[in-house]
Formats: sequence, structure tokens, C-alpha cells
Amino acid sequence: MKKRVLAAVLATMMAATMMAGCGKSETKSEAKKDSYTIGIEQFAEHGSLDNCREGFLKGLEDEGIKEGKNLKIKYKNAAADMGTAGQISDSFVSDKVDLICAIATPSAQSAYNAAMDKDIPVIYTAVTDPVSAELADKDGEAVGNTTGTSDKLPIKEQLEMIRKMLPDAKKIGIMYTTSEANSVSAIKEYESLAKDYGFILVKKGISTTADVSLAADDLLSKVECITNLTDNTVVSSLPTILDKANAKKIPVFGSEIEQVKLGCLAAEGLDYIALGEQTGKMAAQVLKGEKKAEEMNYETIKKPGFYVNKKVASNLGIKVPDELSKSAVESFDEITASKKTEK
Amino acid sequence: MDFIITILEQGLIYAILALGVYITYKILDFPDLTVDGSFPLGAAVTAALITRGMNPYLTLPVSFLAGVLAGICTGLIHVKCKVRDLLSGIIMMTALWTVNLYIAGTANVPLFSRDSIFKNDFLIGIVPESMKSYVTLIVVLILAVVCKIILDLYMNTKSGYLLRAVGDNETVVTALAKDQGNVKILGLAIANGLVSLAGCVFAQEERVFEISMGTGAIVIGLASVIIGTSIFKKISFVKTTTAVIIGSIIYKACVAVAIRNFEPQAMKLITAVLFLIILVISMERKTKVK
Repeated sequence: MKKRVLAAVLATMMAATMMAGCGKSETKSEAKKDSYTIGIEQFAEHGSLDNCREGFLKGLEDEGIKEGKNLKIKYKNAAADMGTAGQISDSFVSDKVDLICAIATPSAQSAYNAAMDKDIPVIYTAVTDPVSAELADKDGEAVGNTTGTSDKLPIKEQLEMIRKMLPDAKKIGIMYTTSEANSVSAIKEYESLAKDYGFILVKKGISTTADVSLAADDLLSKVECITNLTDNTVVSSLPTILDKANAKKIPVFGSEIEQVKLGCLAAEGLDYIALGEQTGKMAAQVLKGEKKAEEMNYETIKKPGFYVNKKVASNLGIKVPDELSKSAVESFDEITASKKTEK
Repeated sequence: MDFIITILEQGLIYAILALGVYITYKILDFPDLTVDGSFPLGAAVTAALITRGMNPYLTLPVSFLAGVLAGICTGLIHVKCKVRDLLSGIIMMTALWTVNLYIAGTANVPLFSRDSIFKNDFLIGIVPESMKSYVTLIVVLILAVVCKIILDLYMNTKSGYLLRAVGDNETVVTALAKDQGNVKILGLAIANGLVSLAGCVFAQEERVFEISMGTGAIVIGLASVIIGTSIFKKISFVKTTTAVIIGSIIYKACVAVAIRNFEPQAMKLITAVLFLIILVISMERKTKVK
């Protein structure tokens, strides 16, 4: 009997903590509008997504909205679970935050769903295709009180760059996860553009991290170079692919700055911190009341940057054309062991 | 208050899944991993049908049937091909991943602009303004309770008795001149039908289908069943099915508390600890009573 009482007490305590949480935050958000509360909801732990978040805070700071000064941040991570993402969105809505920042497509959809009728703007980032995610209509206009930035790959520029680096290459390989909607749509675009640059596309679909090693062996036996998407599964296993490619002296191109640091030859790609900053500035406009989220079209990164890893180039015996190396936003002379080492 | 409503909504949706897991895990004594595939199966079927303009209420029986088929397949693999229970579930779960991708078309199908069982002209017509924020909760509550009642009624039929007998004592079934293999297949079919139904409801509540939404569904189901049954073990007037539903709500409350009060990185650990505390409390009570 005693234990049953204990269980009841525990349950009451749990309910009380939840209630306490509600009360606290409500009074805070009702305070004067010279300070803001933002709920940041990130779908998973991931280098690029972490960079987005970092850039987002930087972008807000540039606009005079600084954490600790006039900004309160609630950061939650859904650990790649849809159910948890839904609960996080609902908790932000019931806390009546001033704005929700959602990082990655599933989080953006869940935040938009929760905030739909509640007059809380949702600013998303790292959503590759807001149109097919139904967050924007065909013309890029917002479908509701939501806008943000897309991390769509600059595929044309990437192909152009690869052509310049490897004038003789014919077959280009891409590995992607069949269950990632972003990768599937990028593959489609590669398919339609590859022949314009004289490439034959060899694609290799995988379902889990466990397939990467076998798929890489197969792909490397068929192609002269590999290019990456922002595919989560493939990017997390990048070291495996790079090891195998290096052994065969096959160059691997990246899709964003972190991959080049890790040992990809070059990328005409995204800097997620810059993307986050751009998002942060959009959020600042909404917070200050200059614009409403529903009036803003979603944005893509303004200009892709060229990143090159000189160490990798010399290992592979590839000479980077002067024209390209001059235009490089950043070039690296060493291969970083892990994504996180510099932070 | 919004917060409590969310927990109840989520808890009741997953309660339908937990009822399915209860049939396989507690009644049939069959660790059925098909759940990780049949949960998104229901969602995929729902997404495919709703985007083609089908009435959202009709997706409920269709999803249930899709789950029944998945369950029958697991059952056939286990009973007819004589594959071990755990493995046959794994085989079906793996196969369903691809099936789900085919059914839905892509890995992510948004349903924002579509009608759902929670938001359609009929409901807007009959629900008064003041009740609007409770619509989802009421619909989910009705669904969960209906599932529970039908399941309770079924368990008291002859076929239901046989189902329970297979888990407890297989020879009884054989002695009654019934094929215990068929009874197992039936149990798996009903269980996965319920799981798939939960996936259908979840997809409409979140208004999106995502291929990865089934990952870990079996864990949530098992946790709900175990929490529910061990808390109410000694309270005989509470039916096990009710206990399972409450277990699911308690599990979701644990997750909610973890989300609210702790570092994002620590969330899974906190959920695990809360889960453990509840289990230990209810187990200690059992030994004391003896």
C-alpha cells in the first residue's frame, strides 16, 4: 500500500513539474516586447544542423537580438523521432513562445502543424524542398505563418566545377539513402543535368549505415569520381567512403564546407553557418514586427562558395585550375579528423 | 492545460498501438517486431489515400486491413516456414520499409492542406467554437475506447479464448482439436491491424507521413504495456486493456517531463530512468504483498 501511495505522489509530482513549467514561461512571454522567447527545435544531432543553429543565433545577434540580453532560448532536440518532435512543437506552442525556429524538414512540418492556428510564426532552415514539404506554394510564397531558408544544393555549379577539375571524367557516382526525400529530389535534378556537362550518372541507393561499405566498393568499381549530397546517412559514414576512395585514387567531391575539411577534394556548396545567419536575420525581421512570416518568400543560400582541400588534391595528384583556386572562399591545407575538432 | 491535452492526445494514439503489442507480447507471448513496420504502414496507406482524395474516415478501416495483411504475413512466415518468432518479425519489418516507400511514393508526404479525421467540414459544422481545442482529444479518446471495448468483447468470444490459450498453454488448443498455428496468425493479424490503425491516426494528427516514424515504435509499445500491467497488477477491477491505455499515457508523460525540464541531450536517459523508477516501484509492491 505504501508503494502505491508513493506511485501516486510521484505522478502528482510529475504533473506539478509540468504545471510549474507552464506557469513560469507564460508570465515571461507576456512581459514587455523588448525581450523575446524563441523555441529552437532541431530534428537530430548532426554537424550541419548544429551549424545552422549556431548561425541562426549569430544572425539574430547581428540584428541586436542577443541571448541573455533580450532573448531567451529554449533549445530542444527530437533525437530523430517524429513523436518526440510533435511533443516538442506542442510544448513550444503551449509555452506561447514568440517564434519557433525549426531545423530540418520533419521538425519544420511538425512545428508548422502545431502552430498553425495559434499565431506563432515558424521560421525553418535546412529544409531542402519547402515546396514539396508543403511549407511554400509553387511560387515560393508562404502557405501560412511560416517561412525560412532552404539548403537546396547548387547542383549546376557543382557539376560545372567538377567538369573544370576533371576535364576527362565520364562517369560520376552518387550514393544516397532511398528513404531521405531530400536526397531523392537532388538525385532527380542530377539526372536531368548530368548530361549537359557530359557526365553519365551512376547512382547507388542504400537503406542504412550498414550498407555504406558494400555500396561504396561497388560504386568505386564503376566510376571515375564521386559527388556527395547532404544525405544524412552517407555523410555520417563519409570517413568509410573516403578511405576506400583514397585507396583507389578516386576523387570525392563534397556538398558543403565540413565535408571538404574532412577530406573531400572540393565542393561548390553550402556553408550551414551562413545559411543559419540568413535565417536568423529573417527571424529578426519577424520578431521586430517589420514583416510577417507569411509575407516572406523562402530563401536559398545567396551564392554558393567554392571550397577546396589542397592536401587532398596533392594526394590524388590533381591540379586545381588557377581560375578555381583563386575564387575559393576557403581552402584547407590539412585533413581534419573529425567534424567537431575545431569547436 | 494545453500541455496535459497534448500528453493525453499522444498517449491515446499510442495506446491503440500498445493494445496491439499487448496481444502479441502478453497474450501470445510472441515478441513481434513487425510493429516498427506496420505502424508507418498505416501512415503510408493513409497518406496515399488522403492525397488521392479519399474520405479520411475510410482510411481507418483500410489501414487496419493493411496491418492485418502484414500480421498475416508475419504469421505465415513463422507458422508455415517455421522461422523463429523474433526473426519473422524482423523479416517483415525490413520488407515493410520498402513496401511503405512504394505505397507512399516518397519518404515524406505532407498532408497539411488535406482534410483529416480531426479537421473536416463535418466536424467544423457540429463542434461548437468553445470545444475547438478539444476536438483532437475527443476523437482520439473515442477511437482508443472503441478499440478497447471491441478487443474486450472479442476476448470473451470462443475465438478470443483460444487466442489466450495459445499463449498460456498450447496443448490445450491442440486438445480442443484446433490448429494453434492458425490461432497465432489470427492474433498477429489483429495486433498489427491495431498498430497500423495507430499509424493512420498518428499521421493525420501530425499531418505528415515520414518513413522513419516507425523507428522505435515497438519500444514505446512494450514500455506502455509493461508500465500499465505492472502498475495495475493487483487492482483486479481494472481491465488489462484499460491498464495498457493508461500505461501509454504515463509513458508519454515521462517523455513530456523529460522534454520540458532537462537538457536535450539527456532526454532519452531521463525517459529511461523514469521508466525504470515506475517499474521498480510496482515490482517491489508485488514482493511485499507476498
